Amino acid sequence: MKKTNPFSLTLLFLGAFISVSAQTTDEIVSKHIEAVGGKENWTKVKSMRIEMTIKEEGNEVKIISTQIDRKAKRADISFTGMKGYSILTEKEGWEFMPFGGMTKPEPMTAEDIKIGQDDLQLQDEFITYKDLEKKLEYIGKDDVDGTECLKLKMTCKDARETTFYIDPANYFVIKQVEKVKVNGQEEESTSMFSNYKKIEGGIFYPMSILSDGANMEITKVEVNPTIDESIFSLPK
Amino acid sequence: MKILFVILALLFSTMLFSQSPVNTAMFGTMEARQLGPGTMSGRISAIEGVNNDEGKTIYVGTAGGGIWKSTNAGASFKSMFDKYCQSIGAIAINQKNPSIVYVGTGESNMRNSVSIGNGLYKTTDGGDNWKMIGLDSSEHISKIVINPETPDIIYVAVPGTLWGSSKNRGVYKSINGGETWEKILYIDTQTGCGDILMDPTNPNIIFASTWQFIRTPYSFDSGGKGSGLYKSTDAGKTWKEIKNGLPEKPFGRIAMTLSASNPQKMWAIVESNKTGLYISTDGGETWKNQSASLNVTARPFYFSTIVVDPKDEKRVYRPAFSFAYSSDGGHSFTEASYNGAWVHSDMHALWINPTNTNVMYVGTDGGIYTSLDKGITWQFNHGLPVGQFYHVAFDQKEPYNVYGGLQDNGSWKAPSAGPGGIGNANWENVGGGDGFWTVPDIDGKTVYSESQGGEMSRVDLTTLKSETIQPQKTATEEKLRWNWNTPIVTGAKNPKNLYVGAQYLYKSTDQGRNWKRISPDLTTNDKKKQQQEGSGGLSADNTSAENHCTIFTIAESSLDENLVWIGTDDGNLQYTADAGITWTNVSANISKSGIAKQAWVSSIQPSQFDKNTVYATFENHMYGDFQTYLGKSMDMGKTWSRITSKEFTGFANKIKEDPINKNLLFLGAEMGLFATLDGGNNWFRMKNNMPEYAMVRDIQINPTTNDLIVATHGRGIFILDDIRSIRNLTKDIWEQDVYLFPTPDIKLNNGKYGWGGRQTSGGWSAENPASTPSIDYYLKQRLSSGKISVDILDEKGALVQTIPGGVRRGINKINWNLRGKPPRVATGSTKMDYYALVAPMVMPGTYTIKLKISDKEYISKVNCIHDDTNKDLALNDRKVVHENAVRLLNLYNDVNNLIDTVSAYQNSLKADSIGFVKNKNYKLFYDELEKTRAELMPTKQTSVFADEVRIRDKVSKLYSTFCQMETKPNANQLEAIDVLTNEYKTQQNSFITTSKKYKDTTIKNIKKYNKNKL
Repeated sequence: MKKTNPFSLTLLFLGAFISVSAQTTDEIVSKHIEAVGGKENWTKVKSMRIEMTIKEEGNEVKIISTQIDRKAKRADISFTGMKGYSILTEKEGWEFMPFGGMTKPEPMTAEDIKIGQDDLQLQDEFITYKDLEKKLEYIGKDDVDGTECLKLKMTCKDARETTFYIDPANYFVIKQVEKVKVNGQEEESTSMFSNYKKIEGGIFYPMSILSDGANMEITKVEVNPTIDESIFSLPK
Repeated sequence: MKILFVILALLFSTMLFSQSPVNTAMFGTMEARQLGPGTMSGRISAIEGVNNDEGKTIYVGTAGGGIWKSTNAGASFKSMFDKYCQSIGAIAINQKNPSIVYVGTGESNMRNSVSIGNGLYKTTDGGDNWKMIGLDSSEHISKIVINPETPDIIYVAVPGTLWGSSKNRGVYKSINGGETWEKILYIDTQTGCGDILMDPTNPNIIFASTWQFIRTPYSFDSGGKGSGLYKSTDAGKTWKEIKNGLPEKPFGRIAMTLSASNPQKMWAIVESNKTGLYISTDGGETWKNQSASLNVTARPFYFSTIVVDPKDEKRVYRPAFSFAYSSDGGHSFTEASYNGAWVHSDMHALWINPTNTNVMYVGTDGGIYTSLDKGITWQFNHGLPVGQFYHVAFDQKEPYNVYGGLQDNGSWKAPSAGPGGIGNANWENVGGGDGFWTVPDIDGKTVYSESQGGEMSRVDLTTLKSETIQPQKTATEEKLRWNWNTPIVTGAKNPKNLYVGAQYLYKSTDQGRNWKRISPDLTTNDKKKQQQEGSGGLSADNTSAENHCTIFTIAESSLDENLVWIGTDDGNLQYTADAGITWTNVSANISKSGIAKQAWVSSIQPSQFDKNTVYATFENHMYGDFQTYLGKSMDMGKTWSRITSKEFTGFANKIKEDPINKNLLFLGAEMGLFATLDGGNNWFRMKNNMPEYAMVRDIQINPTTNDLIVATHGRGIFILDDIRSIRNLTKDIWEQDVYLFPTPDIKLNNGKYGWGGRQTSGGWSAENPASTPSIDYYLKQRLSSGKISVDILDEKGALVQTIPGGVRRGINKINWNLRGKPPRVATGSTKMDYYALVAPMVMPGTYTIKLKISDKEYISKVNCIHDDTNKDLALNDRKVVHENAVRLLNLYNDVNNLIDTVSAYQNSLKADSIGFVKNKNYKLFYDELEKTRAELMPTKQTSVFADEVRIRDKVSKLYSTFCQMETKPNANQLEAIDVLTNEYKTQQNSFITTSKKYKDTTIKNIKKYNKNKL
């Protein structure tokens, strides 16, 4: 009779324990998609209009983001009585930010537009990543503000890498680090997400976003609103 | 099965024991400030770059500061290895896929103070994520080479342990990208591999130099029969030792290189009884000695780098004590010019950009330098904060200064805060040599600075003139033995007491002008450990680094100046309770607790609450024992208990007891900073924006600011500001779901410092601490749904400001700027009104803090008090300032309301597009309104360089001045308010006049449009 090493048994037991804990990328993605409202609901989302406010030392920046999935995106920014905007479509991009002294809209670089195409998609990234030929990899667990999160890295065909941190308690993304190489520079931005709420269309959306130090509160979300597409053209 | 159950029970009991709720995540919002600096940087052990990236992507490995990556050819660097061992030995990049990088931990510059590694790491995403892939017992890794054609084939040179013998050394090979390893060259337990080379044109040809070496705490021996030079032509399956033309064995360390453009050409610096440079022109089969300068052959165990230009076999570089280059294939060398900048001595790494070999980076004991002219002149990179501090101290000033000495970089002083933060230029050099203890005197104008082997000075901080104060031996005494890192400390009870230790303890009460020996020899005085003149092995190396049987740490009790504890490097811990008349050696009692007998006593903390209680750290790594030894005695050293934790990593360097909460202790170890809130039962690793495995060598707590000051041996100084949140977190608080901490009184001011401008010195800079105390609250769990905000209400219950709150588990911090909401700004201007982004500072009073978490509220109060330290602003003046700030705020609002009204009229006129065309008065009315609007706000500014200043700008500028005023306003400033009020009224009257003038032409829709505004 073969002798059984008790240490091996222990390891076997631990191994089973670990294998139950260790989840495949697909399982995590599946649970996340379910948590944020399901693929069926998300794929019905064709456009969104989101109103948000950034508060800093009593000042408020109002932003309205209007987007048609994989087609065009516009952000209107109001601050201290001035208004600016950015427009990105499949073919062009413009920015008008008068706050720092810009007096007329300035075009985005070709590379900005190319890299920015990924921002045009409105869907949850985990639903579309395979269609968009992105690579997704489960890296392991990592601490985010005291929460042991599941860490996944998504790599685009272009020079964009996004690391997602998913709270295993609810499978919401609570942190995202995006690294983009554009115009010869490497830029990194970090966003924290909280206060997920179920919104129109049965999908879940984070109502609080802390992005590179800016506290954004989402005050209104419209799903599939009617959008006058002329707003994506440069004002004459 | 019974055994299994016992094991499982033990396993689960460990898991239960580990479930202490207190951990670093609770304090994650408390982020330490990394003071750096980049001024003098620290030892660089490896540099590698991506070959086909225009030289932009560079990885830098450091002796104690992890890995830093630049993607812009060194213009800026980012730390990439904060979660892992900080001692780096080697880096290798898979040039076919440069996202794959291998890092060997454990530097191989085998000096006395070198740290240890814990294996080989791999990243597949350019350093964002790392995985340990083996060789975890290697301790030191000197080189990694990758087969350029088949990059999953990797060779690793492992010198192995420095402090003893080991089988985990030699050359290791992986053929699957590091998944499995095979040891392919092994000599014996005393001999590792110092260097390895691959012929890039035939990757089956490998050269390896083996190295026999060992250190003890009191000696170093480089060289022996195990050292040799080997060649393999079958990718490491078989090896042939090469001797032809090399000097007679034994060898020591061998550094070597070959020409990428002509791999038959090789160079080797062979440590032997005739250490020299050897050149081969036949692929290493035969060698010829070449006469070489001192710099080429000096200190082979420490300077093990020789590099040849990848395109030019004639251009050979020898970074060593200084930087030397050869233009004739190594036959003669020239020293680098100092026309560009002085280059720090002691060099260990060189990377040449293969696509432009004029460009290269050298790593020294004092950071990185770049050359654009093939190594002739160099520029220093000021942005790498990897200084290797041994100790840190602080003074009593406001802001306080920190002081510390660094490996090979002297002793320094810098403010903990200042206008514009703390930049490289704020660091002042107060001592030379290798810096160690740098201790300010209580007089505020003197510092005691010390360099290796007990060289010590009293330095006048106003002139930086110094006097040597090292005690001298008397005729009847033995030769004084001074540790490499000799302690010089002031008394914790009586700061006028100055102590230094050789084998005897000396005390001075007159700043080192006179010394009194107050002890016998307190060490074991083991003569076998005092043979340093013979140290070094094949190359003599006696630099005081191996001095032994010396006093290593001294601590006067903060409760009694007659109670002084000392610890030695050979295991003695002794105390005197009568200022040195009698001494008691308690070392025998310590070893009973399981602490190694001969371990260095690395720090002593006499309790600040009980004279009988003492903590001490012990470290035994020089005997190959890396355990974390922390002991505590509660009976004056008669009995000891060893404090352990599964969290601990690395040998123990420092124990620090909080001066307020006796259960709060901090432990600085070679691989991390740890804290306990329950007197040592449960410990957690502190992260707090510090590397998780930082080499923590010293810890101080400033009792005035409550700052934790941490000295690391590779990442400079960290300051964790105001640790009261840690100190005050008790069990009854952490068991609550939410707890709003009391907020201390807040003095009303704009902070201690002005803007201060940008740091002009470039390089590394650290921010100042928060200017006002934060509002702190505790969350037992992260808030996954719901919103958190904090309302500030005044004494009448009116809302002053709403501030968004964090949702993280543990301590959250809110910073209120002591102001309300800034004014609304009317639209329509072509210029942003920056001055309107501020609100008047609140007046003294008690304010309510309302923490709102979803539908629950938690209330506390905070007293905002007049800052009576500001003699320029009496309380009555503050009232005047505030009243006028509010007056200007109202005026600003009036201006904006008038702008809105004018704009509304204009919009309504234009809204009637038919009338606008048909009725000429529409246009006239519109144009006159525009004149008024253009007086009120900028409407035409076309560029920030053509400033347009109108009434609103003038009002907001004065408003902003009053909002931030911290002095009594002068009459002129007060009069300006009246002037601006009149200017506003003029435009208001103009508007009224215009409106009346066009009353008859005013159409219905204007009335309708503006009925509320007319």
